Amino acid sequence: MTAIADSIAGGEIGGRLWFYANYHCNLRCAYCLTESAPQVNRRELGREQIVERAREGKELGFTSLGVTGGEPFVLDYMPELIATLGSELPTLVLSNGTVFNDRRLGEMEPLAELPVKVQISLDRPDPDANDEMRGPENFRKVVEAVPRLVERGIGVRIATTLEDPEADPHGMERLCELHRAMGVPDQDHVVRPIVNRGRAATNDMGVLAGLEQLEPELTLTADGAFYSPFGPTVRGGELDTDMLVSRTTSPVREPAKMLARIAGNRPAGNDASIGIR
Amino acid sequence: MPLIGVEQAPILARPFYPDDGPPSPLTASLAHVPEVLEVTLPFVGRVLGPTAIDARTKEIVILRCSSLMECRYCVETHTAVALDCGLSPGEVRALRGEEEAEAVFTNPDDLALIAWVDGVALGRGAAPDEVTARAREAMGHPELVELTLVAGATLMLNRYCSALGLPTSPMTLARLAEEGLA
Ligand code: SF4
Repeated sequence: MTAIADSIAGGEIGGRLWFYANYHCNLRCAYCLTESAPQVNRRELGREQIVERAREGKELGFTSLGVTGGEPFVLDYMPELIATLGSELPTLVLSNGTVFNDRRLGEMEPLAELPVKVQISLDRPDPDANDEMRGPENFRKVVEAVPRLVERGIGVRIATTLEDPEADPHGMERLCELHRAMGVPDQDHVVRPIVNRGRAATNDMGVLAGLEQLEPELTLTADGAFYSPFGPTVRGGELDTDMLVSRTTSPVREPAKMLARIAGNRPAGNDASIGIR
Repeated sequence: MPLIGVEQAPILARPFYPDDGPPSPLTASLAHVPEVLEVTLPFVGRVLGPTAIDARTKEIVILRCSSLMECRYCVETHTAVALDCGLSPGEVRALRGEEEAEAVFTNPDDLALIAWVDGVALGRGAAPDEVTARAREAMGHPELVELTLVAGATLMLNRYCSALGLPTSPMTLARLAEEGLA
C-alpha cells in the first residue's frame, strides 16, 4: 500500500482524482466557476496526459476518477477517453448535457458497460427559471438528453446548483419528480450551493468556499495541480492560484504527496462540506 | 512578471508570506511555482541568513556580487541591509564599485574576501592562484565553503531578479535616498 493509498483510506484526502479536460464550453452560465464560454483559452490538458496520469493515480491508490471542465464533451475524443478511464477506475464525468447529438450518443454507448456516470446540470423544474442562469434552450436540451442516455443504459446523475438550495422546497420537489420521471433515482441527484468564485464572484453570487469548507481532492489541470475541483477557477480571465498545490502534475505522486501534506496540516474539525460528487 | 499577492498565494507559498505587510518580490514571484518556492526560500534563507558567519561578512559578499552582476534590485535591497549590518556608507560605496576597496577597507581579511568574491563572480574556471591563496589564509575551510556558497546563491538571485525585473520596495528606495545611496 502506498502512502497516498494510506491517506485515502484514512480519509485525509479524497479518493477521486479529478481532471480539468478543458476550459471552453458551448454555454456561458452566470455562475460558472471557470468563466467558460466558446471563445475562452481552452487550457486543454490532453487525452494522453489524462490517461497516463489516471493510470498512475490508480497505481498510487486513487479509487475513482472525475473529469470536468469547461464542457468535456465539446472535445471529440471525450467518449473514447471516458471509456478508457472507465476501464481503469469508476469514472464520473460532468457535463452540461447539451451536446449529445445522435452521433455523440452512439459514441457513448460503450459507456453503458462500464462503471461510468455522466453528471448533468439541471437547476430548476421550469425552462424559464433554469435558463435564466444557464442560457436559452438549456432546459429543453437537458430533458431531451437525459432519457436518451438512460435508455442506452448509461449511468446519469443530475446536479443542481442553486444560490440557496433550501429556499424553494416546492420547486425542489418538482425538480425531483422530473429527474425521477427521466429515470434518474434520488441517490443520483446532487444539490449544492453556488460557490462564490469565477463568474459567480463577479456577479456577487454564492457561498464563500475556502480550504476549510472543501474536501482535499487532487485536481489536475493544464496549469498545475489544485487542492479541489473548486480550485482552478478563473476570474477576469486570470486563473486563481489560491488553491494551487503545484505546477507539477506528473508524476502524479508528487502533487499527491504535497496534497497529503497540506491535508495533514489542516486544523481539526474542518467542515469539508462542498464536494462535486 | 506579475507578482502574486496574499489573496492569490498558493497553499504551499502562504507560510512564506508575512502577516504584517506585503511579501518580497522574490516570494511573490516564486509563488508562481509553489513547489520550487518552498525549497528555494528556505535554502536562500539559510545560506544568506544567520549562521556561524556574521551578517556583516555575508553582506560584503552579497553586495559585492550583486554590484559586479549589475543587479539593480539586489544592490538596492542589500545596500539597506548592509547598512543595518554595520557596514559604513563608505564601505557600501566601495563594495558597489564606486570607490576603490583598498582605499576604504583596512582589514586584510576583508580585502582577501572581496578579491575572492571578484574571482568567483567574474572569473571563468578556477580563481587565480594568488586570490585563492589569500582567501585560504584569511578563512578556514568552513568559512571558505560557506562564503563561496553565499556568492553562488547571490549570483543565482542576481540573474533571477535582473532577468525578471523585480521591483525594489518603495520603502527601501526612500531609505537609500535618505542615506545618499540611491
Ligand atoms: S457552468 Fe458548466 S456549462 Fe456553464 S459555462 Fe461553465 S462549464 Fe459551461
